[in-house]
Amino acid sequence: MKDTPLCNCERDFLLKAIEEKKRLDGRQTYDYRKIKITFGTDYGCCFVDLGKTRVMAQVSCELVAPKDNRPNEGIMFFNVELSPMASPAFEQGRQSELSVKLNRQLERCLRNSKCIDTESLCVVSGEKVWQIRVDVHMLNHDGNLMDAVSIAAITALCHFRRPDVGIQGDEVTVYSPEERDPIPLSIYHMPISVSFSFFQEGTYLLVDPCEREERVMDGLLMIAMNKHREICSIQSSGGIMLLKEQVMRCSKIASVKVSEITELINKALENDKKARKAGGRCGFAESMPQERITALKKDKTAVEMTDVSERANEIVQKAEALPQTVPSPVVPVPGVGQVGQGPQNTWGLDEEEDEEDSDEEQEEQVTKMEEEHSENKEESRGGEVVEISDSEEEEVVILHPEKPDRTPKNTGSTSHQKVAASSKKRTKK
Amino acid sequence: MMEVCGSSNVTLREFGCEQSLLSRPDGSASFIQGDTSVMAGVYGPAEVKVSKEIYDRATLEVLIQPKVGLPSVRERSQEQCVRETCEASLLLSLHPRSSLTLILQVLHDDGSLLSCFLNAACMALMDAGLPMSCLFCGVTCAIDADGQIITDPTAAQEKQSRALMTFAIDSTEHRVMMSSTKGSFSVYELQQCIAVSQKASEKIFQFYRDSVRRRYSKTL
Amino acid sequence: VHPPCFVQPRTAEPLEYHRSFLKENCRSDGRELSEFRATTLNIGSISTADGSALVKVGNTTVICGIKAELTNTTVETPGKGYIVPNVDLPPLCSSRFRPGPPGEQAQAASQFIADVIESSEVIQTEDLCIERGKLCWVLYCDIMCLDYDGNVLDACIIALLAALKNTKLPEVIINTETSTPEVNLEKKQSLHIHKHPVGASFCVFDDSILIVDPTSEEESLSTAQLTVVTDEEGQLCSLHKPGGTSLPGEKLQECISRATTRQREIQKLVDKVINSVKTAQ
Repeated sequence: MKDTPLCNCERDFLLKAIEEKKRLDGRQTYDYRKIKITFGTDYGCCFVDLGKTRVMAQVSCELVAPKDNRPNEGIMFFNVELSPMASPAFEQGRQSELSVKLNRQLERCLRNSKCIDTESLCVVSGEKVWQIRVDVHMLNHDGNLMDAVSIAAITALCHFRRPDVGIQGDEVTVYSPEERDPIPLSIYHMPISVSFSFFQEGTYLLVDPCEREERVMDGLLMIAMNKHREICSIQSSGGIMLLKEQVMRCSKIASVKVSEITELINKALENDKKARKAGGRCGFAESMPQERITALKKDKTAVEMTDVSERANEIVQKAEALPQTVPSPVVPVPGVGQVGQGPQNTWGLDEEEDEEDSDEEQEEQVTKMEEEHSENKEESRGGEVVEISDSEEEEVVILHPEKPDRTPKNTGSTSHQKVAASSKKRTKK
Repeated sequence: MMEVCGSSNVTLREFGCEQSLLSRPDGSASFIQGDTSVMAGVYGPAEVKVSKEIYDRATLEVLIQPKVGLPSVRERSQEQCVRETCEASLLLSLHPRSSLTLILQVLHDDGSLLSCFLNAACMALMDAGLPMSCLFCGVTCAIDADGQIITDPTAAQEKQSRALMTFAIDSTEHRVMMSSTKGSFSVYELQQCIAVSQKASEKIFQFYRDSVRRRYSKTL
Repeated sequence: VHPPCFVQPRTAEPLEYHRSFLKENCRSDGRELSEFRATTLNIGSISTADGSALVKVGNTTVICGIKAELTNTTVETPGKGYIVPNVDLPPLCSSRFRPGPPGEQAQAASQFIADVIESSEVIQTEDLCIERGKLCWVLYCDIMCLDYDGNVLDACIIALLAALKNTKLPEVIINTETSTPEVNLEKKQSLHIHKHPVGASFCVFDDSILIVDPTSEEESLSTAQLTVVTDEEGQLCSLHKPGGTSLPGEKLQECISRATTRQREIQKLVDKVINSVKTAQ
């Protein structure tokens, strides 16, 4: 499905508004939209709402063999999934330019910045390490996917707990969460990406562009930074030239935004920890807004069981009694059997169906089967005749008209009938 | 043969739904059964690819997105079940040569996932305002080792069960639209599960009605 | 059976054409509503496979080959071997299938066969284990459709069952000194088949008429399809109805009764064919 294009009027309107320092949703130039972080029932599941943009990240782990050049390091794997749910322009199972870009940027932001201690993920050097997999699903695309993805991914990584392992000799046991408490990942710092969009060849700048603004922008600058004001990655796309001062200004804005967001993430993590400790229920079900009229919840309800078994009984008893006997199958030759009187395979059998006398038909078929059998034998002995299927009988006659030794090999009684049958066919043709 | 299922297990976990929660899709809903939650989005009727065009009705595509990794053969078979159920209830001939896309995203799997897919799909189709001949809902029943029926089982109950059945029930005559089973069971057990599912479906349809009533309560 | 005196043209009005037959309680190919097409079974059709069977249900032709390989057991199931079924619907069997990766129908069929194997416990995977936690058999069951004329699921199950019954595995001894497996090809043993699941497929016409063993034309015109799989004890292994028009419990019961008879019919066929080979040897 294609995305709805933006008309020129809308484009002009948007650009005009940006020139006048106004944004569609009433934000100021450097304002972020409202960020909401919620967690799923599992460890390592995180939902991030950035305005109307919504993404979900899920972290999972698996024991695998390490890479040859890094025998004592765990493996990090990132997958950004542009689900068609987020936008009609996204297609299932196709690597689009955007998905490659997001994947690459997330890898730079989280893997290349060495924010996760991969060495602690080693179980047996050179043999078994943990592979940490981060799947990020887009649920709703309303611009600035990258920032939402990076927040969701790092929060999910902070929230995740991997199962504990024990090593006895060369045997590795993975303990279930009931046996031993799962262990959090060791994370050195939290890089967060902040996006800036540029308009009119870099004259105007906006933080956290929404989808409409992204469509009219000329260029995008993504800065990934941690709260210690260390830049982890800078990526500029869209082909605009930026001055040194512009980049410096952006990095200053980014440092402010990053410290705000980091604080928010830490708060969210702490709240979730408390809620889990208190033993209360947590997860997506709890984060559903109750006050909205589009949402409704119903408590656990019992299903009435009156007359359920009576009804079931009634239906079972009303059913027809099964016939005592079933038709016996015909086995003309060892290894071949047939059952049923319905339409036969029409692989060359269509002419038999025209036969009026069913007895004759049956007999003829048996003959054919027998003949086939003898052919089979012939094949196994001599190996020159390649015809195995019963249906090819006619064609054999046509394709190899000279086969003197074929008829004599059949038994007397059947050969007679066979000749009669095939001659009948030929006259029909 | 006549053992009646223990009433304590024949319950539906608390369930909830939120509609129109995403801005991009034409219809969206999230459905929650206990901890199992699914989000659904519907796009359409919209332009269709020429290769998928059907001359007398709309083409419906259903995509199931697992939480981890890419969709596998199991998701394909679930997609088929959901799609054919939706096709039977939607009046697709009203939108010939157009496309409908339904995307289902697993948010958490704690048992009865297929029935949650069906419920989320129905709510999302309703939210998108697509014409339907009837509504449908999904109910999962498990039969445990003692032959007891458990409705809406959790993942742990599913694992211990001897047989697992999921039915889609229609709202007009409470008949079976879709059935998908696992494990072996007797005819009597099957009929019992169908009867239980029909009873349980009434609760879910009542919930559909309540949520729609609540939603439109302010516009009256 | 009295065929109708007036029928609609088949190509112009296929649905009306079939309706005019169904009105008289018969079908365009002369069958009754609950009649299967003739089912032909041939076992050992592929000499290079460990077990194989060819099944024809009317024009629908399906071949199943089983290849057994030695492999390591998985960590989750140390005491079990495993079975990997795969259903292939190549373009050669019908013009509706395109070349390339398997389509939705083929994938759904593979999943269905895998579910039937698991639900019916036709083979207990413990039997395939050779040494716990180390070595086991994996059975690759490749099912290929050669001619698609409807009801491919039933044909697949019969082919699979017959091929499994035809499969012989060589004895494997683990050498205690070198701890390497040694395969004794001289000594072969049949697999132990615990259950005999057999399927029966139905189509629903015009929301109410049930017909058994649909052809591909009937399948494409029907409003719903369902497959019932039963075993010899009358237990249901699968009631697979992927959607379509709704049916009441009573109608499902009819299908189950028909499926139970069909199971007996096919089990008899399979047993007789297997025995015929044994006695011939």
